[in-house]
Amino acid sequence: MTTLTNILHAALTGSIGQHGEVAHAAAGAAPVQIAANGPWYAVLIPVFAIAAFLLCALCAAFKVKSKLPAWITVACLAASCGVSASVYAWVSSHGPAITYVFDWIHVVWGKDKGQSFVANFAFYLDTLTCLWMLFVTGLATLIALYASEYMSHDVGQGYNRFFAAFSLFVFSMACLVMADNFILLYLGWEGVGLCSYLLIGYFYKKPSAVAAAKKAFIVNRIGDLFLALGIMLCFVHFGTVEYKAVFAGVEEYIKHFEAGEFNKIPPVAQWIAYLLMGGAFGKSAQLPLYVWLPDAMEGPTPVSALIHAATMVTAGVFLIARTYPIFMISQYALHSVAWVGALTALLAATIGMAQFDIKRIMAYSTVSQLGYMFAGLGVMTSVGAAAHVFTHAFFKAMLFLSCGAVMHGFAGQLDLRKLSGVGSMPGWRIVGIAMLVGCLNLAGFPIITAGFWSKDAILGGAFANPHAQSIGWILLLTAGLTAYYTFRVYFRVFVGPQHFEPGDELHAHDDHGHDHAHAGHDHGHDGGHQSHSHDKAAASHDFHPHAPGWAINTVLAILAISAFVVILPLKLIPGELGWVGQMVEGSTARAVGHMEHAKFFGFDAHQAMMVVSSVVGLAGIAVAFVLHYAGRTSAATSRADALLPAFGPLANWAQHKWYVDEFYDFLIRKPLLVLAHLFHIIDQYLVDGLVDAAGYLPRAIGRLLRPSQSGELHGYALGMAGGVAALLLIVFLATTSW
Amino acid sequence: MEQIINPYILYGLCVLGAAGVCLALPRKGLSPQLFGGLLAGAVGGLAILFLGLKNPEHLPNIYFYIFSVVALGGALRVITHPRPVYAALYFVLTVIASAGLFLILSAEFMAFALVIVYAGAILITYLFVIMLATQSPQEDEVEVLMEYDIAAREPFASTVVGFLLLAVLTTMMFKGVGELPAPQVKDPDAILAAMPRRIESTLREEGLMPKGSTLKVDAQTGDAVVDWKHRTVTTIDGGGAPTVVSLPDDLKATNADHLGFNLLRDHPGTIEIAGVILLMAMLGAVVLSRKQVQIDEEAKMRQAHTLSGASFGPDSGTSKGGSL
Amino acid sequence: MIQVLQTLAQSGFPDRMHAATLSHFLLVSALMFVIGLIGFLTRRNLIIMFLCTELMFQAAGIALVAFGRYHLDFSGQTFVIFVLTVAAAEAAMALALVVLLFRRRESLNAEEWKELRG
Repeated sequence: MTTLTNILHAALTGSIGQHGEVAHAAAGAAPVQIAANGPWYAVLIPVFAIAAFLLCALCAAFKVKSKLPAWITVACLAASCGVSASVYAWVSSHGPAITYVFDWIHVVWGKDKGQSFVANFAFYLDTLTCLWMLFVTGLATLIALYASEYMSHDVGQGYNRFFAAFSLFVFSMACLVMADNFILLYLGWEGVGLCSYLLIGYFYKKPSAVAAAKKAFIVNRIGDLFLALGIMLCFVHFGTVEYKAVFAGVEEYIKHFEAGEFNKIPPVAQWIAYLLMGGAFGKSAQLPLYVWLPDAMEGPTPVSALIHAATMVTAGVFLIARTYPIFMISQYALHSVAWVGALTALLAATIGMAQFDIKRIMAYSTVSQLGYMFAGLGVMTSVGAAAHVFTHAFFKAMLFLSCGAVMHGFAGQLDLRKLSGVGSMPGWRIVGIAMLVGCLNLAGFPIITAGFWSKDAILGGAFANPHAQSIGWILLLTAGLTAYYTFRVYFRVFVGPQHFEPGDELHAHDDHGHDHAHAGHDHGHDGGHQSHSHDKAAASHDFHPHAPGWAINTVLAILAISAFVVILPLKLIPGELGWVGQMVEGSTARAVGHMEHAKFFGFDAHQAMMVVSSVVGLAGIAVAFVLHYAGRTSAATSRADALLPAFGPLANWAQHKWYVDEFYDFLIRKPLLVLAHLFHIIDQYLVDGLVDAAGYLPRAIGRLLRPSQSGELHGYALGMAGGVAALLLIVFLATTSW
Repeated sequence: MEQIINPYILYGLCVLGAAGVCLALPRKGLSPQLFGGLLAGAVGGLAILFLGLKNPEHLPNIYFYIFSVVALGGALRVITHPRPVYAALYFVLTVIASAGLFLILSAEFMAFALVIVYAGAILITYLFVIMLATQSPQEDEVEVLMEYDIAAREPFASTVVGFLLLAVLTTMMFKGVGELPAPQVKDPDAILAAMPRRIESTLREEGLMPKGSTLKVDAQTGDAVVDWKHRTVTTIDGGGAPTVVSLPDDLKATNADHLGFNLLRDHPGTIEIAGVILLMAMLGAVVLSRKQVQIDEEAKMRQAHTLSGASFGPDSGTSKGGSL
Repeated sequence: MIQVLQTLAQSGFPDRMHAATLSHFLLVSALMFVIGLIGFLTRRNLIIMFLCTELMFQAAGIALVAFGRYHLDFSGQTFVIFVLTVAAAEAAMALALVVLLFRRRESLNAEEWKELRG
């Protein structure tokens, strides 16, 4: 074992001694001193989440048929959120620290560096961790509250299952974010992937949901493979998987990075970043691997809001932010990240423009915004990326929850051609306002929206980076497209003449009985029960949308307010992007190095962008207004339809998502399928044939010989006499000399 | 050594005999049984005749032909007769003819033993069992042959196997017989020396023994001292003076003498084992053929009363039966 | 009668039996054996099948006595005595079994008993 590891070391790092020396020398020069003993109560964050999970599992075991699991989850997650806040308070006053919980994996086979494998169950608490944990637990609490109403038609086993997976997700996310080492991060990484799979496939009797869950799981596996390889390579090179030691090791190379001497950094160390990047692309739905996220909208909307918009998909961003030093010492890693992010942003935006399913548009906008974040990381403005994660989490969750409210109220209807003027219907005002706030944020409405500031930081960062001008232009174009398609949704669905057609799914929960479908609703409306009839004709005739109840409205209101409130820490606190900037600068995600700022046509890039992106965003909104609001009299059509022919096949291609799924299908799935069929045939006929032959041969011989075992005396006697005759004949022939 | 019979003639006869036996076997409907039987018999006779062709001086006497034809014909009839009783009786015929062949082989004791044991005892047992194990027909009913007695089973295959065996067997036999060592010439009367008292009594009966003298006996073995070359024995009178006396011509060792000596002197253990086998067979037959008779409770009770005497009343038997 | 038997007993080969003559007896023995074998293979009646085994015993006995005569060795005849013994024992047992079987199935057909069928 030891020898093998040593050989591996020697092969991959050049020499053992050099590597050990490097790690040792770097340990003393760590820029941020990390305290060894963080606050013990940090452990309560995951503990509360796992407690909620266990309690929900108990509820499932006792077949609880009430909203108890929802309240358990909300309470526990709120407690987690509170603990997160106090941990933040501790960290902001004491600085980064590690909270050790217990020895998890501890294998030692030598005394030298790299001859031990230690992965403690310990938490790495710095401001980046706190930032992520605050919005993860906060949003999780709010969305759990929202889900308590949204999932009410499923009270019973489905409800228990939902909240158990929900809590488990928060636990996994906490492990991922707070991990002190790559292994714990990987545990959380896989955990969130599992919960994502479970929750996308929540309606497991619906084939499309099952397919989407499988797709998400499998596509994520590809990314996870790269992540695992990256972690292994990290261990091989640095001899450890603990952040503290890894960053200490990286510190040596940072000098070379600052001097621009990438050839002095071992290629192995540079490769770690590429592999980790693959993992991040998978989890955060970036270009080659983004296809799972739009399909993941098959899950319940709170899941889409929390997991597939606000938190889990930002895990990739978090991974890169957390291991930012590793990315910086890799020559092309950040450029790759920037380009992939920018292209993803543009591609997803073009697809989003042509979709009709509002939830799907939101999904593509998520992909697009994640692309923004990656581009931000890639152009060395990790602060902007983190700020965008932060603001995006709020307004995208809000957008999804608003869409969910619409879906909930209109029996699964999500087609923007069949809904109109929802915001002005009675009881839908809060949803309309929340949607407007979300859309303004997403579109980057100048000054008053948080989304504007965070997006502006990325755009400014891109133009300020002398190597990323083209990325800046792509992002700017994307910003315009984003504003257009966002307000396309708003103008089509939430304002204009009132019109609606109920969805054909009627909650799409055929697997869970309809008898208690409305039992948990605490808002009255007449005729609502008929909407749950299986008779579609009757349903569409007598359908009355039920407006959201207090839980949904409360959550939406809180989120709408907080979407504005988050501007305050961004802008009132000095420094670039204020509070978030401080959080990021005080953590490993700090961008180091001095880069000369490029000018944008002679102006300072950041200041110019404030104007330019404002103009672009407003232009997008204006185009949407003209094409989709002005003069629109029905839900189904708008002026934009007249423009479609002008784009030729492009519009159709965009509507079909540029045929990426079909391309993957043709490029990967079909050959694999053919290969699988081939192997199946080989297995069936060759392998099974051999095995079967082994069984068939004795059987055939037995069948051949069975008649002789007739049980009749004569048969045996005849055989015996014939045998004696044959034996004598043989003896005779053998003894006769011819 | 040359073949006693031309192998091709032998094989041809085997094929013909097989055809004959095959035809002679009983089967349903019309069957050429008689023809087959005649063919088989003719073939058997021919085979025996052919044996003598090469050395006519070694032809056996006419009795051999009579007995062997009767024996083989009876055997053929045993396996072809549909009625078991007749088959058994034909077997008796075969046994008697075999006994005749034994006589020709100067095995008189075995010949009579065969007739007594086989024909007299074993076959009678067979007849009893045949009677026992046959459904008795109703009085006014004609006796119907059993279906399984009428038709032979797989006559062709069995005959082929049988005559294949015969062909190989006879070929090897005739080949091996030619290579047999020439028989040792022994004096058949030599064992008489082991029977001094018989010699003495014969001599006395014939009046050849001098008065007051006894036969000289070997001190160690107890045998009489016989000079077989001159057929003389030595006698000793009261004074110990030896006298040479010649043996009479009719003093010969019989077949039974030889057999008795062979059996009891050479194979004493085997005869014990044979006795044990017979005992076991008797016990086995008793156990196997014992009939399970169902006795009802009342009969048992009555029997118990009878056995236990009159001390119990008819009613008390049931209640106090357990105390017995 | 006694005269005839004595003639018979003397008509053989008192001192010596030629190999060719031995072959006659062996041929009769072989024929009888094969007839018994064919009978055993073709007849279905259990009793007749046992009769056929007796036939085969008989054939073996003839061969034994003939060989004993050829070699002037009386062990051949002694052996026939044992064959007789075994035949008697076998007949007793076998017939008891036949009776038992007949009681079970009311038939002597050997094909009724197929419990050994594989």
